[in-house]
Parts: sequence; structure tokens; C-alpha cells
Amino acid sequence: MTTSDQLDAAFAALANPTRRAILAHLAQGEATVNALAEPFDMSLPAISKHIRVLETAGLITRGRDAQFRPCTLNTQPLQVVASWTDQYRHIWDARFNMMADVLQTMKETKDE
Amino acid sequence: MSEQQTWVRVQRDFDAPIEMVWNMWTDPELFKQWYGPMGMTVPTAEMDVVVGGTRKVCMEMKSPERTMSMWFTGVYKEVSSPSRLVYTESMCDEEGTIISPRSMGMPEGHPDITEVIVELSETDGKTTMTMVHVGVQEGTAGDGGWNQAIDKLADLIGSNT
Repeated sequence: MTTSDQLDAAFAALANPTRRAILAHLAQGEATVNALAEPFDMSLPAISKHIRVLETAGLITRGRDAQFRPCTLNTQPLQVVASWTDQYRHIWDARFNMMADVLQTMKETKDE
Repeated sequence: MSEQQTWVRVQRDFDAPIEMVWNMWTDPELFKQWYGPMGMTVPTAEMDVVVGGTRKVCMEMKSPERTMSMWFTGVYKEVSSPSRLVYTESMCDEEGTIISPRSMGMPEGHPDITEVIVELSETDGKTTMTMVHVGVQEGTAGDGGWNQAIDKLADLIGSNT
């Protein structure tokens, strides 16, 4: 997958509350599908479908253990998401704080 | 059909008339005063603020060991004083030759070209500013996706006013 495809898949996968809850669960450590399904009033196949979406997006990886195949969180695609947009949000926020200060100073100078 | 864009959107209210906020973006001397946060300074800001006009901005970070300079260039795409400004931004060298962000050590996924869209509106002497910074991922600067992103942004901005 190219970076942009990966971003699309990650964003699409994140646009669902059940899948975000699954990721939050996995942030605490690997878990089996059964364990992940527990908090939800949802069938196991429905949960499995959500897990497949997350797996396709590269947000989780699944173990090779044929019987349990525990899920593990993979943060790499999220780091791609975080890279430039988060970086710039931080910079712009700081810039606009400074802009507000400059405007304030200009107003004060004018009022004198 | 995949979406290749990501963006940052920041909205701020300033206790200042719209012309003052517009000048913050278009007067190089004023621009230099706020554009370099977090230990950065802006020693150079050249702006030909007309449609098709170019801009070149240098950001500098001084440490006791050395001074790091980063240059950015771009073109003004829309100049509607005092309410809307659109320009592109790319990393470049001192001469204004565009260089790829990756060769500057930026992480993968950092777009080659970004676009900054500023919208201003004034109510009772206070100005609301919406800034959207959009990126085109490397190798996907196709017009189709690009225009689509701009349309989306128009909606995004429109829905908030």
C-alpha cells in the first residue's frame, strides 16, 4: 500500500465507534477476538468483520496461533496520520497565539 | 477511488478589524512578527500578493552550535482582500528551487506541496479567521483528487459560516 492508501484505510477504519473501542482495548495489550467481543452487544461474526477492517487498514496484526490468533495493535499507520497534520496544527496554534499578541500590541499602540 | 489529502483546520477569533488581520498575512513586516513560533525567526519574507505572484519565506532556528534555515516558496492562487487568501507552499532552497521534503529529512507522508486557505469575516469589529492547510501526498498531485479536496474544503468552510 502507498502512504496515501494507508492513510485512507486508516481514516476509514477509525470512522467507527466500535472499531475505535477495539483499538482502545488493544492499546492495553493483545487480546483474542472473544475477549474483544465481550463488551459489545454484537455477534461474533459482526465483531470479526470489524477486526478484518482494522487488519486490512494495518491498524492491527493477528498472531499465527491457528486457534486463537490474538490481535495486537499496530501503531505505525497512526504515526503516518499523526505526522504532518498534527505537526502543523501545533505550529499554527502557536503562530496564531503570536498573531493575537501582535494584534493586541498594535491596538494598544494605536489607542495611546 | 482513494482520497489523497489530509488537512489541518484552525479557526480563531481576533479582537481586531478584518483589515488588520488581512495585513498580518500580506504585509511581510507584520508576517515576520508572528510566523516564526517556538524559537524560530523569520528573517526573510518576500511576497508578491497578487494572483500568480510568488512568495518566499525563510524560517531560521538558532542554536549555540549552528543556525538552521528552512526556505519555503509558493504561489498566490486567490487574493480577495480582505476576506480570502489562497497560496501554495513547498520547501525550497535559498534560490527558490523546490526540494522534496524527504530529502530534507521530513518523515514519509509529508506532502511535497501544501496549500494554505485563509478566510476572514468581521462582525462588530471582531474578526473570525479560518485557516485550512491542505496537503497533496507525494506522487498523487493529480488534478482530479486535488479539485475534489478543494470542493470538500469549500463545503467545510461554508458549513461554518
